[in-house]
This record gives sequence, C-alpha cells and structure tokens, in this order.
Amino acid sequence: MHYRVRHLTRYRYERPVSQCHNRAHLLPRDTAQQWCLDSAILVSPAPDFATERRDYFGNRLYLFAVETPHTELAIEVVSRIEIRDDGSAEPALDFGLSCAQARDRLWHEVAEEHLLAREFLLDSPMIRVGETLRDYGAPSFADGRPLLSAVRELTGRIYREFVYDPDFTTVATPLDEVLESRRGVCQDFAHLAIGCLRSLGFPARYVSGYVETQPAPGQPKLAGADASHAWFSVYVPDEGWVDFDPTNDNMPGSQHVTTAWGRDYSDVTPLRGILFDGGDCQEMTVAVDVERVST
Amino acid sequence: MTDGYPNPRPFQPLPEQWPQASPGAALEARPFDYGPVAGGHDETRDAQGELAPHWRYLIDALGALGPEALAERVRKARRMLRDDGATYNVSSEPLASRTWELDLVPLLLESEEWSRIEAGLIERAELLDLVLKDVYGPRELVRHRIIPPELVFGHPGFLRQCQGLALPGEHQLILYAADMVRDAGGTLRVIGDRAQAPSGAGYALENRTVMSRVLPSLFRDSHVHRLSGFFHQLRQKLMALGGGDGIPQVVVLTPGSYSETYFEHAFLANYLGYPLVQGSDLTVRGGRVWMRSLEGLRPVDVILRRVDDFFCDPVELRGDSQLGVPGLLEVARAGRVAIANPLGSGFIENPALYRYLPAIGRFFFGREPRIPSAETYWCGDPDDRELVLAELPSLVVKPTFRRFGQYSVFGSELDAEQLAHWRRRIAEAPRDHVAQRVLDASHTPVLEEAGGLRPRPLVLRSFAVANPTSYTFMPGGLTRVGHARDTRVITNLTGSTSKDTWVLASEPEKQLSLRREPAAAGISAEPGVMPSRVVENLFWMGRYAERGEVALRLLRTLFLQLNGVEPLSAGARRILLRAVTEVTHTPPGFTGPGAPVERPEAELKAVILDAARPGTVAASLHAMLQAGEEVKELLSADTQRVLNDLRDELAALEAQLGGEQLVAPEEALDPLVTTLLALSGLRHESMFRGMNWRFWELGRGIEKALQLIGLLRATLVPELAAEDVPVVVESLLLTCETLITYRRRYRTEPDIAHGLELMVLDESNPRALLYQVERLQRHIAALPAVEQGAGLSRAGRLALEALTALRLSRVEELAARDRRGALGLIRLVDRVDALLRSLADVLAECHFDHRVAQRQLFQGDWSYG
Repeated sequence: MHYRVRHLTRYRYERPVSQCHNRAHLLPRDTAQQWCLDSAILVSPAPDFATERRDYFGNRLYLFAVETPHTELAIEVVSRIEIRDDGSAEPALDFGLSCAQARDRLWHEVAEEHLLAREFLLDSPMIRVGETLRDYGAPSFADGRPLLSAVRELTGRIYREFVYDPDFTTVATPLDEVLESRRGVCQDFAHLAIGCLRSLGFPARYVSGYVETQPAPGQPKLAGADASHAWFSVYVPDEGWVDFDPTNDNMPGSQHVTTAWGRDYSDVTPLRGILFDGGDCQEMTVAVDVERVST
Repeated sequence: MTDGYPNPRPFQPLPEQWPQASPGAALEARPFDYGPVAGGHDETRDAQGELAPHWRYLIDALGALGPEALAERVRKARRMLRDDGATYNVSSEPLASRTWELDLVPLLLESEEWSRIEAGLIERAELLDLVLKDVYGPRELVRHRIIPPELVFGHPGFLRQCQGLALPGEHQLILYAADMVRDAGGTLRVIGDRAQAPSGAGYALENRTVMSRVLPSLFRDSHVHRLSGFFHQLRQKLMALGGGDGIPQVVVLTPGSYSETYFEHAFLANYLGYPLVQGSDLTVRGGRVWMRSLEGLRPVDVILRRVDDFFCDPVELRGDSQLGVPGLLEVARAGRVAIANPLGSGFIENPALYRYLPAIGRFFFGREPRIPSAETYWCGDPDDRELVLAELPSLVVKPTFRRFGQYSVFGSELDAEQLAHWRRRIAEAPRDHVAQRVLDASHTPVLEEAGGLRPRPLVLRSFAVANPTSYTFMPGGLTRVGHARDTRVITNLTGSTSKDTWVLASEPEKQLSLRREPAAAGISAEPGVMPSRVVENLFWMGRYAERGEVALRLLRTLFLQLNGVEPLSAGARRILLRAVTEVTHTPPGFTGPGAPVERPEAELKAVILDAARPGTVAASLHAMLQAGEEVKELLSADTQRVLNDLRDELAALEAQLGGEQLVAPEEALDPLVTTLLALSGLRHESMFRGMNWRFWELGRGIEKALQLIGLLRATLVPELAAEDVPVVVESLLLTCETLITYRRRYRTEPDIAHGLELMVLDESNPRALLYQVERLQRHIAALPAVEQGAGLSRAGRLALEALTALRLSRVEELAARDRRGALGLIRLVDRVDALLRSLADVLAECHFDHRVAQRQLFQGDWSYG
C-alpha cells in the first residue's frame, strides 16, 4: 500500500518574531511494516539553520532555526510511505503468552530486549501509573489469559466506554481527569491504555502517526481534513511490540502510518520550540491529508 | 621576619621530646587544649591515638600567637572575605547573602596519605567517566546486567536528548568533585559525587588566598602543596576542548547573581580570565554559539557551565527555562561548542550507583575501586528495599536526585509516625530513594569565638579536572565543618564553616606555572571582550547611584530647613515637601489632597527606607547594589569594600530612623552621601578608561541631568511668593552643593535668575546642566560606531541637540514668566528632558543586550485523531 501524507502547520504571530529555534517529529520513520520512500520538509521563511538527526528512540528529529523577522511560519511535510499489506484482517490473538507468563519472562528471562523494554514500564513525563489506572485495566488481564487478547479487550473497552470529544481535553489535561470524565481524543486514549498497561506490569509505548480516513458514503474527501493520530504499542516478551488503536478499536495495519514513538506524547511532540518577540498571541492551524496512491 | 610564630621546626620532631600524648592531664598545660570526641576518629590523632607531630606543630603555632593576636587575625580574615565579596547566597534576596565563613585552623593531610587518597579518587573519576560514556552510548552496563535498567531509565538526571553527545578528547567527565568523610575506622569514604557543575574550587582558592595572607609565616613554613596546578590544568583542558586553530573563546555560564554560588562564578571567571555570561548573553545563530558584546556578536567555543543541565536549552530540555540558550544542545551535538561538564552528566550524581560501583569496577577494570563509598542500599532493588524498610531507624535516607529543599533524613531522629510516613514514601517511589549506614564523621579542631579549639565533624570535597591521559586533583580541597559537635549534614545551605586544606609537602615545592605561556596558559585572545549586559549593568549602577544620591541630598536639605532656626513659611514647606515626592517619583506622597504636609515624618521615613517602593533611597540603592552584584567580577576590591559599606549603612539607617521621633535625621544620611562620593571617587580615580568606565559615566551623567531637571521643575517652576524665593532657591543650591559658590559669586540673597545662571548655564559648575550635557556629548562621541553611514550617530545627534539648546539659552529668557505665569525655563528643560530620555533609549537599543521576551512555541491542542 502506498500513501502520500501532507502535513502543513502554520503559525501566525501578533508581532514579528525575531528568531525561533524549533524541533519537529514530523518525518516518518521506518518500521518493520513500513518504509518511508521519501519525505521533504519545507519551512517558510527558509530556515537559516536546519539539520536532521535520529533521536534517542530512533525517530527522525528535524531541528531548524529561522533568524530573520517573520510574522508567519509554515512547516510543510510531504512524505511517500509504503506499508506492507499482508491482506489479512486482525491476527488471531487467543493464544500465546499469558499475562502471568509475560510478566514472569520480562523479569526472569535473560534477554537484552526485555531489559531495554523495561524502560517503558516506568513513569514518563505525562503518564504516572497509579491505582485508578490499574483498577480500570485489571478486569481484562486475568493471569491465565493470553496477553494480546487482554490488550485487545482493553482497547475495545476504551473505545466503547469513552466519548470521543475534541473539545474536552487539551495537552495539559491530566490522565486522571480523562479517566474520570470518560472523554478525550486519540492522544488521551493512547496515554490511558499505556498507563493501564504499565500499572499492570506490561511495557507500553506511545506511537504517533496518521490514519487513512474514509469520507462519509457519497461525500467527496475534503482536502486537509485528516489529522495526525496516536495509538499505543505493547511489549510481548519474545514477540516484540504490537500496536493497538483504542480510538478506532482496531489493530493498526495497512491504514496506519507511523511517524515516531516514545514513552509518551512529550517525547515525540510534532513541533516544539522557542521564539523571541512575536507578541502575546499565536495562532496555529494544521492541515493533514493522507492519500492512497497507486504504485 | 616572624609574625609571632615559633621558629620553624622540622616536621618529624623527636617524639621523646613531647609529653606523653595520651589525652588528658599532660595536654592541659599547653596554650591550646584540644580534646577530641571520645570514641570517634579525630584527624589530629595518629594510628596509636596520639596527637600527630604535624598537628602538634600547628596547634602550638596558633597557641603561641596568643588569644588577642589570633582574634585580630580572625577579624582580618573576615574583612578580606567580605572585601573580596565572598558570599554564599542562602536565598534569592541579594542583600541577604552570607559572607563565606572560614575557620583559621586548616585541615592537615600528610603527603603520603594524600597520595593514597588521590590515587583512589583518580580511579573513581576514571570509572565515573566510563559510566557517563556508557550511559549515553552503548549502555553495556544495562545490557550486561551490571546495573538494573531502572537505575538509568528511571533517574531524572538521565537526559535522553543527550544520547551520543561527545566532547573531543579522552574524557567526557571534565570536572568532578567528591565529598568524603572518614568513618570511625579511619577509612575515607565517598558520600557524594558532583559531576554536573561542581562548585567549591573557587571557594577553596579564596580560602587559600586569605590563609596565606592572614597566617603568612605558618603557611610558608608548612610547605603546603599549591593549588595553582589544578587551575592551570583547568585552563589547559578548556583550551583543548576548544580544539581548532587559534585561541578559543571560553566563557563561564552562570544562572546569575541569584545563584547561591554566584561569588564563585565571578571569582573563577576573573581568575581564569574568561567572560562571565548569563544565558541571555549568548545566542545561537547559524549553528554556532555567540556572545552579545558591545562590539557585536563574538563566537564562543567553550562553555564552562554552572547552570544545571535541564535549564541549558529550552528547545530540547525544560521549555520554561529562562536561564539557557535556545538551540544550545544541537550546537553541542554538532561539536561546534564544547560544554564542560557535558549536558546530561547530572546522572552521575545518582547515589544509587554507589551500590553498583564495585561491580562496575569489576566490569570495566577487572577489580573493585580502591576508595569505598558510603555503604548504600537502593530501594529500587527488592532485597535492598526490604532491608531499608526493616532497618530504617538506623539508616539515613537520601533522594536519588537532588532537588532544592530535599534533604537527608536520619531514621534515628524520626518518631513512630514519621517512620511510618517515610516507609510509605519509600514504598510508593522506591527507585527515588537510597539509604546509607550512618557514618560518624571524623572530627577536626575548630577555633572558637571565645578562643580555644573544639572538635567538629568534617566533610572534605576534592576537585578534579581531566588531563590528556587521566585526572588532575587539587591537592586537598575544600573542607567544611558542622556547626556543632554532632552535626550530621554539612552543606552550605544548612550552614557550615569552611577550612583551607593543607597537604603538607616534605620539602618546598618547585614554583609552578609562573612561566609566561600566553597561548598554553589559556589567556583569552581578547580579554576586553565582555557581554553587553555587563556594560548595561554598569550604566544602571551609575544611574541608580545618582538617583539615590540626589534623593539623599534633597532629603538632607529638607530636614535642615524643616528643623532650621527660622521656621519655614507654609508655602515654602509645601513646595519643598512636594519636591521630595516629585524628584523621587513617589506619588502621591506630598502631592494631592490630604497630603501629610503638617506631619511629614512617616512619609519622609518611607521615602528613605521603603525598599519596596520604587524611587525611594533604599529602592535606588538596592537596585544599584544589585546591578553591582551582576558585574561583581569587574569591581575592584576597593569598590567592593565601598559597596559593602553602603550595604551596612543602609541597614544602620533603618535602626537610626526606626524610632518614633526623628532626631537630627540629616546627620543620619551623611554617611551614605559620603560613601556614594567615595564610589564616584573610585570610578574617577582608579577605573581603567575603557567602555566600562564610559558607560558608567554615561549612566551617571544622564541621571544627574535628569535629576537636576526634576529639581528645577519642582522648586523654581511653581509660582512662588516673593518672600519664599530665597529659601527655595537656597534649598536647591544646597541640595546641589552650590550654595557656597553662589554666596561667593553673587553676595546677594538667592534669587531665581542667579540660581538659573549657576545651575543651568554655567559651564564650569560640575553641578550645572550645561556642564553635564557637555560631558555626555563627549562620552558619546567616543563610543564605538554601531550604525551604518557617515556622520553623527543617533545618540550623538540627540546629545548635540540638547547641548545646543542649552548653549543658545539666555538667563533672562529662562527667568522670565509669561502672561500665564509660566517660567521660560519650562520649555528648555522639557526639551532637554525629552532629548536625554531618547538618548538613553537609543543607547540601550544600540549597545545593550536586547532582552526580548522568550516564549514557547504554541503546541496547539491535541491535533485530533
């Protein structure tokens, strides 16, 4: 499957910004299922300095600075991605390591991957484990149940028990509040699932990316109407990382494009930066298009 | 020449010459009786429990001075520390800084013992360097199960953004310090590692400087290992980090004058010859770091960092930090600036590592490190946690990550409820805590205020800097002692006294590093380059000093007139009181309805003492002292002394004016005026005529002119009853110290026309407006060009315009009143006032650091999905 993803972010400032330094997690990385065939990032005004690096998690990090006064800043990323399409629906999940086995292997089997995965059991800047998260997750995770089947159920429960509400949460809304109000958006749901899993002793990480959307039947697809998306991944000893999408109640397959992963949103914030001057008001608009292209 | 010490003795006197050194009767006959604490280890005792010869020599020498001479030296040392501005700030209140405390009894270490300690410390530094490289590199220690992953991944000091950061050269850990105590068995153990921005080396040097001046003979005869080798190597290392051709530009990065160890930052910058900069003095452009200087942007190659790593780059680390340089981390990653210590090195301070150091030593070196750490349990390990919870009452609990306001907790000091609280805390966040067996630190003698020596527990901090193949340690280091016999936590914040540490050489050391090697010694290519913020602070020092001085003079005049032999008329009284409010800009004060004209004391006191109200004497002088703090490294010892006096006098004023009745308040103000004059004198007499001096002069000159205009407006402009004219003009002249000149020149009662002639248009009266503006104009002509094109600069044009307006004025026009009673003076001073204010703005715009608002890029709400 081939996709063309266009992600345009525009900032407008009240007064001229004299200088800005930013970092972007907008360039898609390669994964076991995905190749980024090419990607171009266009910053306007043209940056005086720009460089691309791999971050700690192996994501593509783009750093740039604009040193000329500007009242508008636009960052446009266009990427072509190929995703392995094995044609199957969701894999069968009702066998494999049980929850208890998974926990046991993680701590007692000598394997480098297990040691490194334990990083994703720890609290991270936006996710702190706790009893409420554990209590919410626990009913799905009976010791003898296959871990992946349990995670799939948790994914479905979040989908059914939470209201998708773009007006309720912000980046700053604490996870407890999301849990209590049963509302949020994809980032909240991903954080929630990760928090539950970590509380129960399963390493989990945050994945940012895009999902292909279909217009309502009979409607044309509107330009710029897609959005960036987020889901989570759980570590299964000896099998590796497996993705789940609680917002869409599915397992990411050929319709999900991965950009980056980390402990939580704060590790892979699409754009972060510091600017000088610019007045008190900043206005930001985002437009995303995920287009399926023929090869 | 002796200064009262016994003749130098060899260090190994024949033991039989001494009385039996068992503590007790035999020692009481000595001038100094020092009885160690029973049971613990005492530094003065040898393996047999006897007073060691080198200690006996020291104690006798100090005793021989006699109590009075010793007390005098204590005072002298205190004075020197104060004059050097040696402080340790305990709060963010700049005037509450505490003078650094130095005890005159040094800690003695024999050469052989120090060699053993040093070898152990070098090994530890090497080991921690390997840990640092590994943690931000391959993480073999985790992969090979030498340390648990949580110890690294769960520590707030582990900064993922710093993965792969590499400095040129053998080492990543450039500076290192270890805190050590000697346990009851006599073994030195490390109780703390400082690997981020270790402080104390500068204080150690300051201690040494003071000691060698206060006890010169004793110091000379003791053949103490010198400290200069360490600082020499520090310079060499910083130069080497710069790499490349030519002499790299090194800067010392400080969080600013509110930092507790700011004195040391300024002191080190001065000693090493590097500019002291704050985050906002630096900027990243085109992938490099630059310093904003008076001459424009200058490239920076090496940063000696005294800012904690999280705060160093708001783009990638803490986004809300105002102490850093946006974009710095990427420049460091690209290898275009070297930061010592590298960002991320705070991880090494994690005390949970102590538990694993023997294993880490085996992994890297094939053997355990020689110098042991305090016995440590990490609660992140299940077995350790269990032990800690069970044995809490006999342990000391410490956080794995130092945060302000978090201290060690001694289980033995907790009651049942507190123990339960700590058990809960540990169980909730086990990885964040370590526990250690309580060490009874060894004791060492401290000179008491009342005379005599008392044992106090000590911590020794030793400092290292990387050299091309290994580490160079400062011989000895900084010793700190507790305030009481049983003090257990010895930190600067909780209060401690410091000591010089003498490593005794068996023979005099060769003089080191006195050869001139400009490049190798790391003398900056252009020592004159400094951040423009510094110049701005000098400018403001000048302005605030003048503002304070004029307010003081006016108040002094007012008190004299209020309490004079001849009572003031109601009109004159009102005008003079209003003048106080107007000149100091402290409305409503004596303006407006209901002004306390009849009972002015409380308001006058407030105009002097209320530091929270802008414009008061106290507020202006505090602001001046604060600006002085910011440029501490540039002020001479004399200037520092004058500033100290000013600080004291301000405090004294509070006491003198505090009472209900104001008794001869004008006299209470005199010392402050005199001290401000002394400051002017120093600036005039002993300051190098560089840009520093010029901007200080500019600040002073602009403020002087503006204040004079304020005085003229407040006194001469209001319509005066004829009988009030003499006393009001006299007050103006008195405030400006021109009354005597006036009397000599005119021999008449003060009147407005003559007053104006003398105060506005006289080119020879340093208090006159014309005189001041003319000087300003000359200073401005000498500033470096910063604008494009030929001809006068904007500042130059403004100054010339003001000067010309004054030159073209005639006294008769100024003194005449128009039909509405307005004095001709008004138009002139309004114009000059506006021109001078524009001038100040233009100077700021062209020459000063443009501190603009730094904001975080709006991240938007969740980009829905």
